Amino acid sequence: MSDLDKWVAQLRACRPIPEADVRELCHKARELLIEEGNVVTVNAPVTICGDIHGQFHDLMELFRVGGDVPDTNYLFMGDFVDRGFYSLESFLLLLCLKVRYPDRMTLIRGNHESRQITTVYGFYDECLRKYGSANVWRYCCDVFDYLALGAIVLGASNTLSPASESSAAQEYADMNLEVEVCNADGVSTFQFPRQSRSLTSSSDPQPRGSPNGSSSTAGHSSPATGNKTGPPGSGASGSSGGSVGNPAGAVLCVHGGLSPLIQTVDAIRLLDRKQEVPHEGAMCDLLWSDPDDIDGWGLSPRGAGFLFGADIVKEFNYKNDLSLIARAHQLVMEGFKEMFDASIVTVWSAPNYCYRCGNVAALLELSEDESGLGVFARSNGDVSRSDGGQEKGRPNGFDTLEGPARRYRVFQAAPQDSRGMPAKKPVADYFL
Amino acid sequence: MAAPSIPNLLSLRGSRGIRGHGRGRGGHHGPGRGAASHDSTIQGTDTDAAVSRLSAVELGYLEDPFAQYFVSPDAQITRRLPIINRGTFVRTSALDRLVDQFLRQHVFGESALAGGQIQENVHNAQIISLGAGTDTRAFRLFTSKGRKWNQGRDVPPYELWRNSIVYHEIDFPRIVEKKLATVRQTSSLKEALPDPNLEQADGSWKSCGRPPNGSEFWCHGLDLRDLSRETDLPRLDGLRTDIPTLLISECCLCYLETSEASNVIKFFKDRIPQLGIVLYEPVKPDDPFGKQMVSNLAARGIRMPTLEVYKEPKDQEDRLRAAGWEVCCAYTVEKAWEEFILQDDQQRVDSLEGLDEVEEWKLLAGHYVIAWAHPSWDMGMRWDDNDMKYY
Ligand SMILES: C[S@@+](CC[C@H](N)C(=O)[O-])C[C@H]1O[C@@H](n2cnc3c(N)ncnc32)[C@H](O)[C@@H]1O
Repeated sequence: MSDLDKWVAQLRACRPIPEADVRELCHKARELLIEEGNVVTVNAPVTICGDIHGQFHDLMELFRVGGDVPDTNYLFMGDFVDRGFYSLESFLLLLCLKVRYPDRMTLIRGNHESRQITTVYGFYDECLRKYGSANVWRYCCDVFDYLALGAIVLGASNTLSPASESSAAQEYADMNLEVEVCNADGVSTFQFPRQSRSLTSSSDPQPRGSPNGSSSTAGHSSPATGNKTGPPGSGASGSSGGSVGNPAGAVLCVHGGLSPLIQTVDAIRLLDRKQEVPHEGAMCDLLWSDPDDIDGWGLSPRGAGFLFGADIVKEFNYKNDLSLIARAHQLVMEGFKEMFDASIVTVWSAPNYCYRCGNVAALLELSEDESGLGVFARSNGDVSRSDGGQEKGRPNGFDTLEGPARRYRVFQAAPQDSRGMPAKKPVADYFL
Repeated sequence: MAAPSIPNLLSLRGSRGIRGHGRGRGGHHGPGRGAASHDSTIQGTDTDAAVSRLSAVELGYLEDPFAQYFVSPDAQITRRLPIINRGTFVRTSALDRLVDQFLRQHVFGESALAGGQIQENVHNAQIISLGAGTDTRAFRLFTSKGRKWNQGRDVPPYELWRNSIVYHEIDFPRIVEKKLATVRQTSSLKEALPDPNLEQADGSWKSCGRPPNGSEFWCHGLDLRDLSRETDLPRLDGLRTDIPTLLISECCLCYLETSEASNVIKFFKDRIPQLGIVLYEPVKPDDPFGKQMVSNLAARGIRMPTLEVYKEPKDQEDRLRAAGWEVCCAYTVEKAWEEFILQDDQQRVDSLEGLDEVEEWKLLAGHYVIAWAHPSWDMGMRWDDNDMKYY
């Protein structure tokens, strides 16, 4: 067994590896990451995950639900560390998998992958506790500096492949689903067929809590459940205009969101990323910003990054031939939340965040387009637009590329003592 | 474990020292077996409150030179997360502000002059703090150097108060005994409450010297549930029933059975005509966050019976109305941050540690409520609307 496989095995059991091994692992990881651009290109199929925050047992649950590495191609959008009890094991495991299967694992940087933030939110303390010195924390921070800032997913299909092996592919394709939500056992709980644009009324449904709260999808029947409403969190937009089997536009993945200093994906590629996350500027914004129901740009309550509205997202997507932005960074109780006519989605992968919030988690699966037409959507900005034939005239004048079909797998927190791994009784702070 | 070489978040602005970095925590009692064990678990919540207070003080959220004396030096952690520090800040400041309102009316404000009631050494108002634990509010009030609020409405230093107050704290005997021991050992605490003297076997004590502003301080060791009995009620030495009084329960009555909590309120309401009240309690047990909160606290052996009855902020208002008050109000801590905290203070707090936990803050702060009520608009105890808004 190679060292790498040994480390993976040990970390999978939630046991830290010795300091010297961490050093070696981080060194290997840096050599690999240094070769990556600021924006990594990833081909569908891919499973996109949001914040993990050291919730190791839940990361194992994520792999159970989403499939193991390397069978599943994963893209993690940062915030591996802080808050949970096992930041170290979680991050090192992901890093090991990255080094072991570089083409099946994409890690991009979150705002918590930073020296300053980790001293406040727990990762620093955890390293100190587990190793007695800050060396391991330093090695990890050096890796953080090399993580990519974003990823572009190409070749995602506008139809879904079956949710589980038992379903027939053709049947699935025929359903022409735009959004499907599955539970942790792979059972479909909501299915939303792609609608023609004219059927879509409301633009921005965010039903919170109640599965009946969805507005845009009301009235469309769901083949699987007979439920007449769309899934919570889904903003299934009916933005279709193309025919079944066509490739969807590219998807930009980034931890936080957009920046007023960044107009194109290529501008991200030009940043000097190999540094601590700055307090301000484009790199900081990409990791800190949040979408919000405002026009244009707004100040962020977080004290870093900005708030940005639907108009910003739609213009950015249009200019860059994107059909969707996937981001993480914000706790959403249903695990995912689509906004702005499904032009941006928040994916959150830390269930019962901080052992306190009571939320579920989700991951986002994009299927591979097998029509062979994906080549048209390969790049963003420098190859022809793939919106030919679609009518213009979306709100505020920007046509939206057809979004990829999206499957959200929703899962809950793993029981703390699951799978014989060391478990610390969660203690969450309250105001007493 | 402290690592001075590591910059704090937003350290550019300069912050104070931190006593330690450990995030472990000790001293929790397992799920309660029997009433006695539940009582001791509930008494343990005071340690949580004390540690949170000290954390907020050391990071610059609150100013409180007394908080340090109530956390044992070998406590595992003294630093809480920014979200908790902010919550502690809002809760303490909001309650301070309501107390200031009350005192302005009767002790140091313009209206304290009205009716020519000014007399040296006459106690014009009373505060009763239920489950006060290691709360430092009395020390802070009795040594107050004044507080800037806004034009003409600042809280004057205690020497300038026109009148003085009677201050009562109530908690379990074990807790008040500990407080007495700490005060005796600590000179700056003794300056605020001179000559602390044990009065009764139940640990009740009082400050026999005169606190700096001529006020009076009593600390009673008793189980509040005894006030809910029909007969054989405990005596509360020094309790005045003839002056305007503010009853405070800062996360205390929530640990009593609902009927007991009502009876405790009734005990004071029946005896004191000019009674106002301030409550601080958790709410919303039924949403996902609330359910998790109930189950996490249960895992520590903590039960909050009133939470299951007064589920929404509105229910807390109704509770006070049902108890006989006419003008009742309830703000979540989230709303209190927006409405009670001056903009300058908001900015100051924002700059201390930053707050990455915005969504979590909204969740957490939405699950606590500050509710208050006062007799009526013309009974002299009036919250000034102008004063409750921020500028
Ligand atoms: C969470 S602490 C709050 C302390 C303080 N009020 C503060 O906010 O910092 C709750 C306090 O209520 C006290 N308490 C709870 N039930 C009580 C009872 N039945 N009788 C007397 N005190 C009680 C506890 O001993 C504890 O000190």
